[in-house]
Amino acid sequence: MGGDVVLRVEDLHKSYGKLKVLKGVSFEVRRGETKVIAGPSGVGKSTLLRCINLLTKPDRGRIWLEDVEITRPGVDINKIRQRIGFVFQEFNLFHHLKVIDNVMIGLTKVKKLPKKKAFERAKEALLTVYITEDLWYKYPAQLSGGQRQRVAIARALAMDPVIILYDEPTSALDPQLVGEVLQVMKELARKGVTGLVVTHEIGFALEVADELMFMYDGRIIERGPPKEIVFNPKHEVTKKFFEKVGRLYGERK
Amino acid sequence: MTFWEEFLPALFKGVLTTLEMLAIAAPASVALGILLGTLRVYGGRIASLIATAVVVMFRGFPLLVTLLLLFFGLADLRIYLTPFWAAVLGFILCSGSYQSEYVRGAIRSIDIGQSLAAKAIGMTKLQEVMYIILPQAIRRALPGISNEIIYMIKYSSLAFVVGVQEMFAVGKHFNSIYFRPIEIFLTLAAIYLVMTTAATIFFKWLEYKLRIPGIEMGV
Amino acid sequence: MPIVSPEFINYMPYILEGALWTFSLTFGGLGLGFLIGLPIAIGQAYGGRIVKTLLDIYVWFFRGVPLIVQLFLFYWGVFPLIFGVKLSALLTSIIVLGLRSGAYQSQIFRGAIESIEEGQMLAARAIGMTRAQAIMHIILPQALRIAIPGWTNEYAILLKDSAICFTLGVLETLNRTRYVVIATGEALIPYIFAGIMFIIYTYGGTKLFNIIYEKVQIPGLIKSGGM
Repeated sequence: MGGDVVLRVEDLHKSYGKLKVLKGVSFEVRRGETKVIAGPSGVGKSTLLRCINLLTKPDRGRIWLEDVEITRPGVDINKIRQRIGFVFQEFNLFHHLKVIDNVMIGLTKVKKLPKKKAFERAKEALLTVYITEDLWYKYPAQLSGGQRQRVAIARALAMDPVIILYDEPTSALDPQLVGEVLQVMKELARKGVTGLVVTHEIGFALEVADELMFMYDGRIIERGPPKEIVFNPKHEVTKKFFEKVGRLYGERK
Repeated sequence: MTFWEEFLPALFKGVLTTLEMLAIAAPASVALGILLGTLRVYGGRIASLIATAVVVMFRGFPLLVTLLLLFFGLADLRIYLTPFWAAVLGFILCSGSYQSEYVRGAIRSIDIGQSLAAKAIGMTKLQEVMYIILPQAIRRALPGISNEIIYMIKYSSLAFVVGVQEMFAVGKHFNSIYFRPIEIFLTLAAIYLVMTTAATIFFKWLEYKLRIPGIEMGV
Repeated sequence: MPIVSPEFINYMPYILEGALWTFSLTFGGLGLGFLIGLPIAIGQAYGGRIVKTLLDIYVWFFRGVPLIVQLFLFYWGVFPLIFGVKLSALLTSIIVLGLRSGAYQSQIFRGAIESIEEGQMLAARAIGMTRAQAIMHIILPQALRIAIPGWTNEYAILLKDSAICFTLGVLETLNRTRYVVIATGEALIPYIFAGIMFIIYTYGGTKLFNIIYEKVQIPGLIKSGGM
């Protein structure tokens, strides 16, 4: 893998009051790649993702989307966000819209596509995530957690983004529903949809990620092919974190 | 009974006037309530300050004071409103201010994830408020709004102080001539009861019609 | 076209004296409403079918009819013609405000009572209390605290409704303002002044009730209804 650089993050810093949460994070993601960020629970990983589509403003650092520097003042952030897909931990589907409308609204109101075209795109996206027609006219509250998250992925996909950011997409799901969402994510990764995933699901990283970045205390301490980081980490901290995981996945190939 | 033969037709006219006032004031007050509530949450410093001032004033003043102010007070400034329009304007300002509180509370009760998701797909603030926030907020505020409209039906009876010939004015007039308070005021009471009960049923139906699983009505 | 003349300052004390009547009406109505509303709430929460229906009708009538219609009905009709008594405008007003407020307060208290979880009543019965004792010692102390915010709101409503009693001739704040308007020929400043006074009266009372609410709070008692 490795097309042109789609996302470049340079020296990102963010503090909340006295608490410094990002202490200089830099990396890039190329077209078609899937990268995973893992690490102990804390504020850093989510904050990082939210800085990338500027839902949170970083204190310092620069970000490029393809060849546009999006941290420059004067940039039309709404236009930029149309090209970045974001999947939230709590799904955040629009409560008052049916499933099909949830996926279509970005297309009709933001991208200003004609209704027919929007409907076609939405259909495609929903079928990609295995949400069948019988669910399209239901409200989010009537769906299971796994179904909701898949709809959220469809909503992001339908906008035809250059990269999709996943913020712990399965952490709010009941264990038995995690699998269906990961399955969809893996398929998208294999199809070449560029993705940056924050997750605890190391199995996912081992299966489809091109690179695993281990984040600790606001910095990326180690990065490399997932198998290396998980089974052969160089740093003490990384070792400790993946100790249990290594044993869990050691049996697999 | 010549009393009833005279009273009922006049009363009917009064009822029409009452309904006329309400037909204009009710929808307008809802619109004002939504506007003020939205401005107070999303408006810039000046807009939200003005909106707050309006709400504080017209919630704090008794409706009677507002009516007298609009009819007699503005006359001091050479602004002459007809009784009908002074009354209607008073109802809109007063009820709209109360309704804006429900709208404001409803907007603030919507979880922030909705706003984040709207931003994430590239919506501007305006698009976010119009397509995502307000459709949910209005549903949540509906019980409160319905309540205020029902109040308006009852308080429309105060329009007589600025000279509107609505239901109560007719009753008061006939009582001063024929002195039959029990018949007159019980009849008025009955008509108002029918109106408020009908409105209650209507709003219950409206709540039913607009319900969406996952959005709880009432803040 | 005078906007304000220094004359008005002379009339301000006259208007401010009206507070005595305004507060008599407000607290009279509030108090009477409490004495009526609480029993109604208990009746609606714990009563039998017939009792509940009768109470529902009472509430429906006193909430569904405009205050001014009720005032005229009772002052000119019910009291003199049915009961044969001639009551003063002030007394009639307080009674009508009280009957009306009772209807509204009953719903506030009823909501508070119903929001207290069943377990409280069960536990009270389990230690041998009768229904009445349970209500008196366990349910009401909690319900009354929960009801305070709603009750404070009722105060604000009554304060503004008291102005309507001017139609019976009670010399409360608004009525006095009207006379001043007639006397001086200006309307703008006097009515704005009256409006501001009402805001001050409302704010003062609300502040007072909020302080009481804070004072009687019990940790663990959910403020806006039980769990």
